[in-house]
Amino acid sequence: MTDYWLSKLFFDLQTPARAAAYRADRASILKDYPLKPEVRAAVLADDVAYLARLVNPYLLRFYFSSAGMSDADFIAKLRASKADAKEAAHG
Amino acid sequence: MAELVGIFAASHGPLMVRDWDKVTPEHQARLTGAFHELGRRLDAARADVVIVVSPDHWVNFFINNLPSVCIGVGEEHDGPPEPFLKAFPHRTLPGAPDLAGHILRTALAEGFEPSISHRLTLDHGFCIPLWLMKLERLPRLIPIVVNDLEPPMISIRRALDWGRLLKRAIASYPGTARVAILATGGLSHSIGEPTMGDIDEPFDHECIRLFRAGAEQPLCDYLERALTETGNGAHEVRNWVIAHGAAGSRGFEAIDYLPVPEVYVGCCFAAWQAGG
Repeated sequence: MTDYWLSKLFFDLQTPARAAAYRADRASILKDYPLKPEVRAAVLADDVAYLARLVNPYLLRFYFSSAGMSDADFIAKLRASKADAKEAAHG
Repeated sequence: MAELVGIFAASHGPLMVRDWDKVTPEHQARLTGAFHELGRRLDAARADVVIVVSPDHWVNFFINNLPSVCIGVGEEHDGPPEPFLKAFPHRTLPGAPDLAGHILRTALAEGFEPSISHRLTLDHGFCIPLWLMKLERLPRLIPIVVNDLEPPMISIRRALDWGRLLKRAIASYPGTARVAILATGGLSHSIGEPTMGDIDEPFDHECIRLFRAGAEQPLCDYLERALTETGNGAHEVRNWVIAHGAAGSRGFEAIDYLPVPEVYVGCCFAAWQAGG
C-alpha cells in the first residue's frame, strides 16, 4: 500500500539542499510531513524492509542513497527482508 | 510531410556516468563503442528533430499527478537536475513545438489521451544517451515521457499503438522535417527491490529475439507475462516497443548487448529500418 506522505518525503529529498538539511537534522524536516507514528519510527530506524512496502522502489533507493547508505548495504538489507518474508510465510 | 529517417534505442543508467570509473575497461570500451555507433547513425540520418521516448525518474511527476504518457510540446526544455550530470553540456535543450503540437493533435483525434507539458525537465534517461552518443550537433527534441516506474502502466499492445501513431503523425505533418526516434531505458535491471543489481540475461535475449522476429502477438504475450517476473527496470522496454511500433515491427538490429553488473543493467543498443 502506497504511503503518500512517506513518498512525498522521499521525493522532496531529491533536492540536494533539502537532503543536506535532512542529514544534518532529520527531525526538523520530518515535522513537515504527517507521517503515521510507526512509519516515522521506521524512517528513524532506517528500517528498509518496513519502508519498502510503502513506497515506489526507485524512491526508496533515492532516499537511502541520499541518506548516506551504500548500495551494498542497501541491497543486503533488501535481500534480508525478502529472506525474512519467506521465512515468515513458511513459519 | 515530415520524414522518419531513423529509429534507435539505447539503455541508460545513472551509474554509466556517476560510477564510470568503476566500470571495467572492457565494458567501458563496449559501451562507448555502442553509443558512438548510435551517434554516428543518428548524425548520418541528418535528423532535424528527435522524438526521445524515456521514463521520468520522479523529476517532473509524482504520485499526485502521474501521466501514463506525456508529450513535451514546448520551445525549450530544461537539462538534467541530477548532481552527477552537472557536466552535461546543455542546461536547456531546444524543443520542436510545431511537430510536437501536430503529434499531440493527431493523438487526440485518434483516441489517445496524452498529458501535455510546455516545459519538461529531461533527466538522465533522456540526457545520458544523448550525451554519450557524442552527436555532432544536438537536434531539436520532442520528449515523450512514458510511465515505466509506477504501476499500473500502459499495456504492451498500447505501446505498439503509440509507435504506429507516431509514424502516422510524422507522415501527416504538413511541414518539412527529418525526424528520428530514440527510445531509452531497459533492458533488464532491478532498482530498490530485493533483486537489485541482478541482470536477467534470458529476458534480455528473448526480447532481442522477439524484436528481431517482428511478430507482434508473441512479443506482447511474452512481455505482459515476463515483466511481472523480472526486475522493475525492465518495464522501460515499453519505450523500445513504441520504437518497434513506429518501425512497423520490422527491421530490428541489435548493435550490441552486454550485461554490465557495474551499472546494474543489461545494456542493449539497437536500430530499426526507418522505412518499415
